[in-house]
Amino acid sequence: MENRVSLSSIQKAVWDGRLPLEIVLASSESRTFDKTDPYLIAYPRISYLPSLLPKLRAFFSNFLIEPNSQSHDGWFEFEGVPLKWHYPVGLLFDLYAGADPASKTARDNESPSDGSSLPWRLIVHFSDWPDDLVRLDADGMVMNDAFINSVKEADFLRNGTAKGIMSLSKEDSSGLWNAVQEVDLLSFQRISSILLPQLSQPFRNVPIRIFLPLPLDAETSSLKVVQSPLPPSIPASSMQSSQMLSSRSGSMMHPQTVGTVLHTLLPNLFPSRRTPVLAKPVLHGAVIPMSAPIEELVRSSAYGDGWAYLVVRMMG
Amino acid sequence: MAASCSTFPFLAQSEFEGACQDLADRCTSAQNIGWSIRLLTKPDGTGLRITKYVDAPSPLEVPALEDLETSQDEDPVCRVLAPRDVSTCPNSSPQEALVRTKPQPSLQIDYDILLSPTYQVPTLYFGLRWDNHGPLGLDEVYQYVVPERYRQELKSVGVMGGISMGYHPDSGAPAFFVHPCNTADAMANIADAQSVTPGSYLLIWLGLVGHCVNLHVPRELFA
Repeated sequence: MENRVSLSSIQKAVWDGRLPLEIVLASSESRTFDKTDPYLIAYPRISYLPSLLPKLRAFFSNFLIEPNSQSHDGWFEFEGVPLKWHYPVGLLFDLYAGADPASKTARDNESPSDGSSLPWRLIVHFSDWPDDLVRLDADGMVMNDAFINSVKEADFLRNGTAKGIMSLSKEDSSGLWNAVQEVDLLSFQRISSILLPQLSQPFRNVPIRIFLPLPLDAETSSLKVVQSPLPPSIPASSMQSSQMLSSRSGSMMHPQTVGTVLHTLLPNLFPSRRTPVLAKPVLHGAVIPMSAPIEELVRSSAYGDGWAYLVVRMMG
Repeated sequence: MAASCSTFPFLAQSEFEGACQDLADRCTSAQNIGWSIRLLTKPDGTGLRITKYVDAPSPLEVPALEDLETSQDEDPVCRVLAPRDVSTCPNSSPQEALVRTKPQPSLQIDYDILLSPTYQVPTLYFGLRWDNHGPLGLDEVYQYVVPERYRQELKSVGVMGGISMGYHPDSGAPAFFVHPCNTADAMANIADAQSVTPGSYLLIWLGLVGHCVNLHVPRELFA
């Protein structure tokens, strides 16, 4: 029971998490030579950037060189990189800007310039759609489709079939997307409880994607993502490969942790299962403990589509 | 006799890679299959790239869809062009070569077959390209790629239909893909778990998914 309370309190904190954004209109698309006022907002980390476009289009409407552009022509850029809108904004920030995520030890040696990653400064465009982004449509169907596809994948991993999401009523299916767009945790929990296996029934596999550090000279905006089937429990003996044989008969199962996953999939970056040595895993702007069991991590801290997106940050 | 699939109706990574190699080899020895094929090798596994060209009007002078459909017979835009590199055909005269390579508006379709890390089944990604023209949208996919008899059926599933827009897992560029979420169920209904090998799995799958997006598997590949 206590476990359950803490899982839902973590989930609430995740849904309450907000990022301060400072959004300016691309100077090439502005009629004024001086910079227009920026649009400021504390935006939920689990939300998606295109949901801001109607407000931004209205805010900047008097400055647009091309007055006929539509809000769904809008796209976002950070330091020259067009941002993939199908990722929640919290993940995009952790990927591109969260150089040194909040932790107590980091605070002490903070130089004044380190604080400059907040507010996160983005540029919005309403023309010249970049070739490397999937186009949006006026009705928001492309976004809705991308979200539901992602939900389906998470559901398939958890259950081993896609029947859960397929059997969801049309109303609940669109309700799930609305709940995420409106950051309405209660509605979200009601619908996702239909999809999620009971606490007593473990996931088949745990929906986690791991984003690797971007090379400094990255010429493409292609992200390196690692994904592999991750069962929530692993034989105890696989912790020590020398005892592999004993796992064949009546093996003891241990919960799979963030540390065992990272060590197995990325042994060079994570030589230890317990301690971050060269790199650390970041989720929702926080360094997460290597000892966290992955199923609990996803039950408490997944994004609205059911996935935990871990960003690997190099240390030092 | 090759071994059957160890995780049927799913396909393991190593089985998928063997099947890709096998299909590429068969296509190389087969003639006039209407497309070219090559192995994609990448750090985290192997896949296949199939390229074909179809006749289609230039996007700048697109006639109304009705005209296209009534003026030509079934699969109006699916007629495969002759291989472009005529120099490898010993029987073709220079005149023929001239006629065949006459520039005409043709649509290039690149199909990539990759194993889905989520669904553990092959997934078909594809992109369209017109000469000197950038990537095209979902409307063009239904107009030029999906044969007419599948259009309604495909459009009626899911939020936007059975074809979605997403990002190619390797290049990160926008790409279309056919939903893999029902593939395992479909394969379980069609193929026989005892006898299907990874090679025949991939061919059956390609026959199943390919025809919706104008990628037809020639009979001789099943031999």
